[in-house]
Amino acid sequence: MTVPTHNPASPILTVKDLDLFYGAKQALKKINISMQRNQVTAFIGPSGCGKSTLLRCFNRMNDLIDNVRVEGSISFEDQEIYAASTDVITLRRRIGMVFQQSNPFPKSIYENIVYGLRIAGVNDKSLLDETVERSLRSAAIWDEVKDRLHDSALGLSGGQAQRICIARAIAVNPEIILMDEPCSALDPISTLKIEELIDELKRKYTIIIVTHNMQQAARVSDVTGFFYLGELIEAGPTRKIFTNPEKTQTEDYITGRFG
Amino acid sequence: MKQYWKTGEPLVMLTGAALAVILVMTLTLVGVVLTNGLGYFWPSHLVRLELKDGSTALGQIMKREKNPLTGEHRLQLKVSNRDLYGQDFRWIDEKDVTGRSLPKDALLLERREHGNFAGFLSGLSVDGLKVDQATSPLEKLKLARAAIEERQPHLDNIRKKMMTLNQQAESMRLKLLKLEYRNREQHAAEIARLTATREQVLAEFNVLNGQATTAQAEIGGFTAQFKDVSGGAKDIPLVDIMRILAPNDMSIPAKMLAYASRVKELLLDEPRESNTEGGLFPAIFGTVMMVLVMSFFSLPFGVIAAIYLREYARDGLMTRMVRIAVNNLAGVPSIVYGVFGLGFFVYGIGGSIDAIFFPERLPTPTFGTGGILWSSLTLALLTVPVVIVATEESLASIPRGLREGSLALGATKFQTLTRVLLPMATPGIMTGLILSMARAVGEVAPLMVVGVVKLAPSLPFDTTFPFFHMDRKFMHLGFHIYDVGFQSPNVEAAKPMVYITTLLLLGIVIVASSMAIYFRTRMRKRYTSSHF
Amino acid sequence: MKKNYTQASRRRDRLAELLIRICGLFVIVAVVWILVMITRVALPLFYSPKATSIASISLPVELKQSRLLSIGIDETQQELFSLDGKGLVHFIDTRGGTLKESVPVPDPPPGARTVVSAELVSKSLYNLLWDTGVVSSVKIAFSSTRSESGNTIVSHEVSADPEGFFPGSGAFKRSFVRTIEGKGAVRVDQLESDRIRVTWRSKETDLFGNEKATTSSSEIQDPLPAAITAVVLDHAGHYLYAGTRNGQLMRWDISEPGEIRLLDSTAVTGNSPVTALNLVLGDISVAVGDGKGGYTAWFPVTAAGSGEGKQLVRTHVLRPHTGTVSAILPSPRDKSLVSVNDQGVIHIDHVTSERNLLTLKGAKPVAMLALSAQGNSLCSLDTAGNFAVWRLEIPHPEVSLGTLFGKVWYEGYDRPEYVWQSSAANDDFEPKMSLVPLIFGTLKATAFAMLFAVPLALLGALYTSQFMAPRLKSRIKPAVEIMAAIPSVVVGFLAGLWLAPLIDKVVLAFFLSFIIIPVMLLVTIFFWRLIKTASPLERRLRGKEFIVLIPIVLVGTWLAYLLGGIVEVQVFGGDFKQWLYSVLGIRYDQRNSMIIAVALGFAVIPLIFTIAEDALSNVPRNLTAASLALGASRWQTAWRVVLPSALPGVFSAVMIGFGRAVGETMIVLMATGNTPIMSGSIFNGLRSLSANIAVEIPEASLNGSLYRVLFLSAVLLFIFTFIINTVAEALRQRFRRKYGRY
Repeated sequence: MTVPTHNPASPILTVKDLDLFYGAKQALKKINISMQRNQVTAFIGPSGCGKSTLLRCFNRMNDLIDNVRVEGSISFEDQEIYAASTDVITLRRRIGMVFQQSNPFPKSIYENIVYGLRIAGVNDKSLLDETVERSLRSAAIWDEVKDRLHDSALGLSGGQAQRICIARAIAVNPEIILMDEPCSALDPISTLKIEELIDELKRKYTIIIVTHNMQQAARVSDVTGFFYLGELIEAGPTRKIFTNPEKTQTEDYITGRFG
Repeated sequence: MKQYWKTGEPLVMLTGAALAVILVMTLTLVGVVLTNGLGYFWPSHLVRLELKDGSTALGQIMKREKNPLTGEHRLQLKVSNRDLYGQDFRWIDEKDVTGRSLPKDALLLERREHGNFAGFLSGLSVDGLKVDQATSPLEKLKLARAAIEERQPHLDNIRKKMMTLNQQAESMRLKLLKLEYRNREQHAAEIARLTATREQVLAEFNVLNGQATTAQAEIGGFTAQFKDVSGGAKDIPLVDIMRILAPNDMSIPAKMLAYASRVKELLLDEPRESNTEGGLFPAIFGTVMMVLVMSFFSLPFGVIAAIYLREYARDGLMTRMVRIAVNNLAGVPSIVYGVFGLGFFVYGIGGSIDAIFFPERLPTPTFGTGGILWSSLTLALLTVPVVIVATEESLASIPRGLREGSLALGATKFQTLTRVLLPMATPGIMTGLILSMARAVGEVAPLMVVGVVKLAPSLPFDTTFPFFHMDRKFMHLGFHIYDVGFQSPNVEAAKPMVYITTLLLLGIVIVASSMAIYFRTRMRKRYTSSHF
Repeated sequence: MKKNYTQASRRRDRLAELLIRICGLFVIVAVVWILVMITRVALPLFYSPKATSIASISLPVELKQSRLLSIGIDETQQELFSLDGKGLVHFIDTRGGTLKESVPVPDPPPGARTVVSAELVSKSLYNLLWDTGVVSSVKIAFSSTRSESGNTIVSHEVSADPEGFFPGSGAFKRSFVRTIEGKGAVRVDQLESDRIRVTWRSKETDLFGNEKATTSSSEIQDPLPAAITAVVLDHAGHYLYAGTRNGQLMRWDISEPGEIRLLDSTAVTGNSPVTALNLVLGDISVAVGDGKGGYTAWFPVTAAGSGEGKQLVRTHVLRPHTGTVSAILPSPRDKSLVSVNDQGVIHIDHVTSERNLLTLKGAKPVAMLALSAQGNSLCSLDTAGNFAVWRLEIPHPEVSLGTLFGKVWYEGYDRPEYVWQSSAANDDFEPKMSLVPLIFGTLKATAFAMLFAVPLALLGALYTSQFMAPRLKSRIKPAVEIMAAIPSVVVGFLAGLWLAPLIDKVVLAFFLSFIIIPVMLLVTIFFWRLIKTASPLERRLRGKEFIVLIPIVLVGTWLAYLLGGIVEVQVFGGDFKQWLYSVLGIRYDQRNSMIIAVALGFAVIPLIFTIAEDALSNVPRNLTAASLALGASRWQTAWRVVLPSALPGVFSAVMIGFGRAVGETMIVLMATGNTPIMSGSIFNGLRSLSANIAVEIPEASLNGSLYRVLFLSAVLLFIFTFIINTVAEALRQRFRRKYGRY
């Protein structure tokens, strides 16, 4: 299945015939999809459908799990993500990630933001300061935390912590930001803030978001893919998926008949 | 009632009773150690008992117990004066006692030899010491004692010099031995030079020795005459008197002062009278140093092994085997470690070191015998599972999200480890370290095999090069308990010292493990209650 | 981003990963290494002994015509000697077979020209019987020194021993002389007529220091069942043994001058003639070889029902020879024997362990045999005049699986027994190293301790995990964990020096408390029900019941103490221990198994408690909630839901406690008398494997038998705890997987 794209010239991520196995169990089956620059792509589907698994393929977070076998190809621009020559560390710097549970390190807010830079060997104080302010502003949390940058990040509320995590991801200037259900643990107000932020961020970054909240997908994304039992059932412009899906399964899910 | 039994409520009570028994037992243990250990230093009254047969006894009442047959009580009196009576304690039936009194002038002397003396001052031979301003004989005695104390530094100084010279001579002897072993002819000049210097040093030593002897004789000439309660006279050189107490004439604060000074002696002085009196300093020092050297080996190794298990190993046969290995390291009896240490470290590695580096000293072993290094290594092996388990537990309690967060930012595994995980696991590692130290402080069986001794002539650390003497034998609090309590000729007299050592050891272990448990609880709370 | 830095950190990462993996591996290596190491030390116990042939030379031509009486060999197998009938000692180089020197025996008795026979008395001392009937002694000793270049140089010395001079006249087959320290000497002659004559020469010193010598002599009058074929006299000159042609072994006591007492006349071979007879080192056992190759050892044993007298009893049967046993030679170092048959087959056996250590085959029948003074060189001279020299390597002849784990009949014992006694004051003492009493002691201590600890720990854990108020639980659990940290030396000290004397005084109260405390508890439980109706109190105490019980336990103990005193006076006449001994015949040791049970139990309680409590607490709350919601009481829930679910964990707690108790050293060392006896009585002490190691290893010489046996017991402990821990861990892992919690 091919996906109609707005700009066929340069998809930033292309997934071709991707199969993924956990041991003997196949978690992803023949996935084909491509993502465009500066767009928000949302993956939706019921729990356990493989959407998070796919997302974790993009920055090879699945490497951390034993017994995972990947077949097929994912190319990031011209580079094959699962090629042996691919350097995972550089890849992860270019493809950032925000997790379902906010995971600030038990360090100060400042140190959380500059963590990515420090591990890359940047220790220039002025550069770090500048990055902190820029990232926190981009994540729309600068005003809330600017007076307590050196306080522990563990003292923040859930929504704030999640935005700190987004700021931390932005700080290393990635090209793509992967978001794995970033709002699932948050209250509606915080969720709203994050959604606004996503809208803001897509000007600079390509965003791929996994969500089980269909309204959220409808609100923030440009393209939506619907997953079911490890298969990509349908993908296309969000409006089309939500108003006129091609597959009945998609329709059933969206209209709330199952899932 | 039947209903009551059916619900099992009585059985709940039964389980509660089991817990109650456990707690009572623990409290009894702590209580016994506390009551026996704390009281010993307290200068209690010297009681004079007049007995039916007309004789008198002077001493401190230690115990009063009932004879179950006759229902009468008897007293255990610590009469001291071992050199006069042959024993320190005496049992006296209460029905034989016709009168009790607390003579104000009764003195309790702590002596360098033969234990305490209880009696009365009868005279002084201190001509030449400045004691004129004293008004009472007791004060005179105290002043004379102080005057002698002032002369003591001079003697100590000479002794210190003698010790240095002795060490120099010994190191020269070893050097000579080495040169001769290598090749006599080749190093003839060197040998001659060394021999000459050594002779010189020895001569100097002999001169000092003479000085020391005269100084000692001079000091030793000052004596005081005492009488025990039944009038037996005893002439005691003032140098032999460590402390003069008149417990019947002391206020509570004065007694507390005396108590504090004895605690100080306990912690900072050398033992006397084959370890049954005096201080514990060498044992404390030996224990601390052994534990520190042990931690130097066990901490890094334990932490790294835990990191391997938790962060690097895949869940496979290998990991399972490592886990079984760790569990067995923890479960193998400590004496087996001792046996291993003896066979592998002492005779194996130590023997090889001797054969390669110190062949000239053989058959006198240098490293091929028990010593602090081998003890530390043996205990390191013994306690490494404690560090591993604690570190692993603390690493496991760190939420997965933090690892992913760090890795997703492009950190290497090692960077994640050093920058995120290890700082977070520090309290857990500390817990493990403290627990392992507590275990090592109390472990005796393997040490008996690989290097602990009842009396070490010198500390394993001093001011002569190379400062740390890893080949030396050392003293240990736990072994001290076993040795003094079970191997001394006069167990009854040694008991108080053993109780005090036990109290000290128990105190250290309980404080250390409480700290460890506190750290762990705090750490558990922090990660489980925070919002990840 | 900084490229170099990234590269560097990547390198660091790889390096760290490698190091960390190596470290992980090292843990396994360490464990395996411990086992390998201690096994490696223990294993040589079971290596088979080795004999290396050093030389095979023929008699130098100069000696071909001589009548040789005896031979000897030095420690380094470089030199041997032969003594001939002319009283010359010939020293022969084993490497070339050349005669080095011939030395005449110094101070031969006047008039004597030839030596009739030579008898080896001890290490290098020989009795020479001269043709005049006089016996003299000569010492033929080797000594070796290490030269500058590292070679060993052997020198020899032949010296007379005037003490051994004993006049006599006439012709004898054989003569033995033994000097008795300060008392004189005794001489035994086998006359040509086969009669045996004993001559005593006693030296007495009167008050003024004048020596007076008296000589008396008498012949054995006892009828001999047949001709005497072998005679042997012990070193002290006390007992004389003779074997006869019809297989009788006779033993006489000749220790009193002028008195010859027949002690035994026993059939030892079943009619076959006694062809070889000799005493095993220590002079207690006598080894008998017969014409059919039968080869046995005998020593006097108190016969059942015969009162004081001791009878020779066959205690060991050694591996038989294929033909007539022609000579038996005792080892000067241990209870080994060298024997040879008429075909020249040499056996080396250890008597006590009945091990056949070595079998050496020569081509020709052997005429003479000799062992060096340390027993590590063997030399034989065959009938064709060829010497054969061997170096023997028999490091642990006395140890075999049989002696370690089976009953062994040691000298001086009335029956085969399990004995551990590794050292004694005298030289010819035989170490007795049976591990059975130690294993028995270990298991006994562990069993009693577990009997005491398991119920308390498990019930306490059940209470803490299921019924206790959560806030209290968070205090009690750490308290028990701290209890676990109490050093065993502290527990052992208190058990040995506080508890043992205390219980010694109040044994009865100790027993009574096991009755009174439960009774008190029952009474309390009964009254508890009445209190329950007073609801506010009940609610406040729910989950804290044990606090009420603490005073009950204390009061119970006190009551037991009071009652114990009364019962002792009323029933046992005031002294229970005396009663125990006189009426039941049970000895009461102050440091006995009860003390061990309490002390060792106390040490393992916190361990079992903690692990069991963890297992019980880890049973998911929703399980208990479900049960409670169905109307089950809290006990029913705990008993029927929680306990079965947590059973593997609880079981593993008991196993781990068991493992700890087995290996615990200091407590057992300090709280028992460390007597390696096998008695099931709770009033007796014991010695465990671990305490035994601690006691004995400082005395064990490096690589000696004791040293290796102690390592072997360490191997046993290791393997035993390894199995227990592995099983316990497997159970716990299964339990964890079941409930998916760490």
